[in-house]
Amino acid sequence: MAVYVCLIPLLPLLAALLIGGLHFFRVLDGETDEKITARIACAAIGFSVLVALTLLAAALSGQLADAYAYGNWLSSGKLSIGFKLSCASLNLGFAALFSLLLLVVMRFSVNYMHRETGFHRFLFFLNLFAAAMLLLVLSGNAVFTFVGWEIAGVCSYFLIAYAYDRPIAAHNATRAFVTNRVGDGGFILGICLALAWLENADWQTINASAADIDSGDATLLALSFALAAFAKSAQIPFTPWLARAMEGPTPSSAIFYGGAMIHAGVFLLIQLQPLFAQAPLAMLVLTVIGALTAIYSYWVGLSQTDIKSSQIFATSAQLGLMFVECGLGFWTLAAWHLGAHAVVRCYLLLTAPSVLQNTQGQPIKQVAPLLANCRWAFIASLQRGWLEPALDWLLVKPVIQLAKDVRYIDERILESALGAPAPAIKAISSLAQWEEQKMGANLDSSEDSFAQGSGLAGKLAQWTAALLNWFEYHFILRGIGRDSIRIGRRLGKAANRFELLLLQPRYLTLFVLITLMVALGYR
Amino acid sequence: MARTMIDSFPILSLCLIWPLLGALALLFIKHSDLAKRSALAIALVELLLSVVAVNCFNPEYGGFQLQEDYPWIPGLNIRYQLGVDGISVLFLPMTALLSVMALLASWNSVQHLQRFQLASMLVLESVTIGVFTALDMALFFLFWELTLPPIFFLIGLWGIGPERRHAAMKYTLYMLFGGVPLLFAIIMLAINHAQFAGGFIPQDLAFSLPVLLNTPMAGPSQNLVFLLLILGFAVKAPLLPFHLWLPTAAIEGPAFVSALLVGLKLGVYGIVRFAIPLAPQAAIEHRWTLAILGAVTLIYAALLALQQTNLRRLLAYSSISHVGLVIIGIAAFNLQALQGAVMQLLNFSIVAGSLMLIAGMLQRRLGSTDMLHLGGIAKPMPRLTSLFFLFALSSIGVPGTNGFPAELMMILGSLEAYPALAMVALLGAVLGAAYLLGFVRRAFFGPVVQDAVARLEDLRPRELALLAVPAVLVLLIGFYPQWLSSRQEASLLTWLQRLQPPVLQITHLNPTPQLRGFVAQKGSAI
Repeated sequence: MAVYVCLIPLLPLLAALLIGGLHFFRVLDGETDEKITARIACAAIGFSVLVALTLLAAALSGQLADAYAYGNWLSSGKLSIGFKLSCASLNLGFAALFSLLLLVVMRFSVNYMHRETGFHRFLFFLNLFAAAMLLLVLSGNAVFTFVGWEIAGVCSYFLIAYAYDRPIAAHNATRAFVTNRVGDGGFILGICLALAWLENADWQTINASAADIDSGDATLLALSFALAAFAKSAQIPFTPWLARAMEGPTPSSAIFYGGAMIHAGVFLLIQLQPLFAQAPLAMLVLTVIGALTAIYSYWVGLSQTDIKSSQIFATSAQLGLMFVECGLGFWTLAAWHLGAHAVVRCYLLLTAPSVLQNTQGQPIKQVAPLLANCRWAFIASLQRGWLEPALDWLLVKPVIQLAKDVRYIDERILESALGAPAPAIKAISSLAQWEEQKMGANLDSSEDSFAQGSGLAGKLAQWTAALLNWFEYHFILRGIGRDSIRIGRRLGKAANRFELLLLQPRYLTLFVLITLMVALGYR
Repeated sequence: MARTMIDSFPILSLCLIWPLLGALALLFIKHSDLAKRSALAIALVELLLSVVAVNCFNPEYGGFQLQEDYPWIPGLNIRYQLGVDGISVLFLPMTALLSVMALLASWNSVQHLQRFQLASMLVLESVTIGVFTALDMALFFLFWELTLPPIFFLIGLWGIGPERRHAAMKYTLYMLFGGVPLLFAIIMLAINHAQFAGGFIPQDLAFSLPVLLNTPMAGPSQNLVFLLLILGFAVKAPLLPFHLWLPTAAIEGPAFVSALLVGLKLGVYGIVRFAIPLAPQAAIEHRWTLAILGAVTLIYAALLALQQTNLRRLLAYSSISHVGLVIIGIAAFNLQALQGAVMQLLNFSIVAGSLMLIAGMLQRRLGSTDMLHLGGIAKPMPRLTSLFFLFALSSIGVPGTNGFPAELMMILGSLEAYPALAMVALLGAVLGAAYLLGFVRRAFFGPVVQDAVARLEDLRPRELALLAVPAVLVLLIGFYPQWLSSRQEASLLTWLQRLQPPVLQITHLNPTPQLRGFVAQKGSAI
């Protein structure tokens, strides 16, 4: 019976492929075909719900195997990554909950998105997301959890950019995806560490051997996964992407950032409970980051005046609390908190437009007196704690600056040092020019005919000769006494300039990073 | 019995000679439309032949297969020796596929000297197949240098930039510069064999790869050979600082040639096939240098890609950046990283090639791929945009596409070998998403500002058909990568065995016939 567990993510995937394929070839297009698309989408997720509920009942009554392995996805030497789905009641419980929420949102969006130009595209991504999310919670293997994790992220990118002709939407989508990519780095690192140390990335293996590996190693492993969780669940310092993600249509906001995806980070932690139990430092980090996020989000949420923003800061505050619960070891509480919050927040975000409709014209509530009386705190709250500009200043700007410097090096220094001697070739690019050269109108050459070369080797010889000539002229003919002081001073100035450049923060950071890496590499 | 019959049939020679014959046949087809169709038919048959070659190949055996060996220049002991192993065999269908795609992409864009262009493409295909199958160093060098003339003419004559002649000349000069160290290294290897065998020059020179692999070499000369080979291949790969020809060629050359240039990574193949196995001790000694070179290339090119405003230049830098990651993977010298690296090389031909062809389709419609002239492409061209996204996601390494297993394996392998450089690789993955999606945001999303963009026509059936095959492959390999990696595993294990000290070979592994010979030689020497 456990074999049917693969139907839960598979059905929405097939629906997504069907809708996507037919829409790509314009078989399903426009308002008339909306009904077909809607039927496919709702039927697929509906059957997923049924399968998930049946299997959950079977699992709770103890009739189900713990996991079902379908086969090898990739094997290499001793190492193999299998496609394996877990049928534990925790996984099936979340699968049932999320598929139910997805069904509700799917049905809601059929009406909500009616007559929108991107109706089919929206339902395609929603189905793909459903498949990814259900794979994420059901996978018994870190690699496939990551597959779901990342595809869910891609769907979130495309749905934030749903109205792609608005520059803000496109910008926010890119920003959200790239921020999440940092967390993905942590996830990949975690997977690779697990594969390298345990030769297996099954969650069961990771958790079972957590006690056997060194506590430092366990902490590193736990922290890599924690980084992924922080990014996905919008904890500090990644929180700003969540507010940007509100650009998408309401149903997608509700299911991505209210119902399902935003909780993936907490789910990952709950999944890895035995590993974290071995890594007290990681638990501490969870608590601190969670508490900071909760306080930050509450404080920023106080001054929000639009409904989606206030909802979303409430979400990240709640998620912060869940991280605190995980950090303190209340795993069951965190799991229940997750489930309850998913339902409530999904509902609240779905009803947000209706609330706006019903309260039109009514004045919004005054800002809490605590905040209103303290001007400094109020401004900071309005500016969302300057978290995003700070991150830009710390991370994004230096990278862009570095990219500019690298471009300068590439275009000015490398190109002129290694580029082919362009003028010599351009000169013969037209017949007229060639004739002109033949006729002897070669006036631009002021150098004497000695040691004149063409091509790379010829030029090299010419330059060497010129350099030697210069050296001889300056140092040997003029005597060392006269010019050396001037040249020395010039050299000193150049060195000073170089040092100033080195002391700029981006180079300093780069230097420190390189040193660290060399140290790490030779450890 | 059937097996031996297939083995004796010279399928590799047929793969090699067929496009060449086709190019000759084009001389006699005067009608340009007919010439186009016959070129396409020839390329399709070549694709079929290469698939047959892959089918004849037995993935369980790690050595060279389908070998053909005839004397060519007996005086110098140069032989016409062809053969493939798990590393090279899959490059044949990928080359053939990319050539078909390039031919289809150039269908209407070439207006003058059309037959010459078609013939050049077929010659290039044949020569590239030669590079992937040649087992004799001299033969390999011949094919290696013969890639130059067709590319020179293709860029110089049908380029789309105003400085195409310059770009063609730049490419030629770089490649000639790269060829010199290669030639020196090959001569050194041959002379070394003559000295080792205690024979005379020239009758005891050896250019055959399987022979040279079993010829030991003294440390200092091995270092020199390694350096020369890496230098030669780094120019073509391209690695820092010899990468400048690629962005120029990508912007000035026609898109179908740029697609071949970014798609077929001959330089990296050379490093895997020749540089490391021929100088194993030097490679082990200097692997750090190689890995750091790869890491620097990875980050350097990714940062440059962040700054690009032209799609074709961006794709060129992105391809250089990916080469950096592959080099880290190769230098890790373990099975996972190698499998990832070879898989990524195969992915290139699908993904980088297709992205460049899509850029060419935009160029053809708009006359530019600069961000300034784009913006809001998604609205008039939803199909092109969705396919671009599919390939872009694969290039970023998103799961579900073929980029993911390759990147995962490379990062895993390099984490075991160089933890610090694996962090660099992860940083590169973040930058990869940033530069591609950053460009997409401004070029494909946003409002339609230009009138020309608003009037754009979406993909035509021909263009759709040529992109459909790689799109399906991207998803297939992404869903089931084992399909690819199982063909490479045995050969890569053999490859790795060469790098291990001989003592370990005897105790640990089940030596293949060639290795047994090597061990025996070693034993008698001691």
